[in-house]
Amino acid sequence: MARIAPTSRQKLSFLIFILIGSFILYLDVTTNSFQNVKNGFKALKISTYFLTREYTIEPIKFFIKFSKNKNDLINENENLKKALDLSYLNNYLISNENIFYKDKEIIKTYADYKFSSSYNIAKLKNIDPNMYKCCDRHRMILEIIESNNYDFIESVVFNDQGIVGQIIDENIFFEVLLLTDISHSLPIRSELNSFFCNAKGSGNADHIQCSYNPLIWTEDIKINQTFYTSGLGGVYPKDIKIGHVSKIKKIDSNENVIEIKLITNPLRSDLFGVLRN
Amino acid sequence: MISLFKKLFLVIVINYIDRNIFSLLSEYFLIFPLTFLAFIYYVYKSDKNVGAFESFSIGIFVDLISDTYFGLNAIIFSLTTYFINLNSNTFKLFSYLQICLFFGLSASAYVGFSQLILNIYNFSYLTLFLSLIANIVFCFLIAFISSYFPKKINMRV
Repeated sequence: MARIAPTSRQKLSFLIFILIGSFILYLDVTTNSFQNVKNGFKALKISTYFLTREYTIEPIKFFIKFSKNKNDLINENENLKKALDLSYLNNYLISNENIFYKDKEIIKTYADYKFSSSYNIAKLKNIDPNMYKCCDRHRMILEIIESNNYDFIESVVFNDQGIVGQIIDENIFFEVLLLTDISHSLPIRSELNSFFCNAKGSGNADHIQCSYNPLIWTEDIKINQTFYTSGLGGVYPKDIKIGHVSKIKKIDSNENVIEIKLITNPLRSDLFGVLRN
Repeated sequence: MISLFKKLFLVIVINYIDRNIFSLLSEYFLIFPLTFLAFIYYVYKSDKNVGAFESFSIGIFVDLISDTYFGLNAIIFSLTTYFINLNSNTFKLFSYLQICLFFGLSASAYVGFSQLILNIYNFSYLTLFLSLIANIVFCFLIAFISSYFPKKINMRV
């Protein structure tokens, strides 16, 4: 059957919808106006997933587990896994304890200081590996266990390898801006403490980049050189190891760009620590 | 109504497959926009002209489920639908080769446009070029399969 070519009315409706689409796209790119809709949909998706799982897969799983004699062993295994993950987080924090709380210790006496209650455990709820691998927007959704209505905005999120980002939005769940997101900026310094810059997310997985003027910063940056947080932004604690230089690009005589490969990978674990402000 | 749910369900399933394939192939600089390909195939095979509202709504829905900027897929879907509607009778004169080239080129145009919006800082011509070749080859394969198994492939949505 032959299809009729679009009439002028149909052409006009296409034009109107394309214009509306362009306007919506412009609005979303520039002002992020639809973030609430997207977050609502994500929350709905996650809740539906967990509810469906809770009422379909979990009862079946429970029944299978119940019918097996290995039930206790499985539970013990799960508990051990959780404890091991927690101990990894604790180990990381203990190894950086002096650095993480250097600033706080000035105003806090040692007696007030309780290491175990200084951070919360958070479970990974959602991360889009496709977006993380392909695109500029690198976000992660966490559920903080026993959040107790603390204000977690701008709190540092870390895993057993190191810092992964900071919390930027709190709703039912918490949205984390990862270090590699192009809108993220991290003040860093070199080992010799003679080079400082703001490393921006590159939009590439595991990489951040930093542009500087070699006429101002004369330190000779080398491949594999280690970089640390400088603590200048006020969000991240200072002297935390961030990564190694993987590439140095000379743009012109006034600009060099260094690419730093991060030591942390947010896709590695599903348990995170969130430092309290 | 059933047809609408069927379409939405198909979009969700294809988009899910699309995203899984993407995570596997992105390391090799290849992008197969399966959702987009499925949509233009639906518009191409449809007996009647697909309306602007339908293509726009499906595009917005794809934007929502794939967590991209609102309007991105809506614009591309509307534009492609308009183009296919405009040339629906001309396509009947085309060979399989030409149709496959059209589908492959449309898919790479989609990849290019979406990468421009989503990934402007790391826009890669290599990805665009390899995706173009891969999409054309992919369309050829589908065309070959459909000519060998016409009844199973030529289903109506």
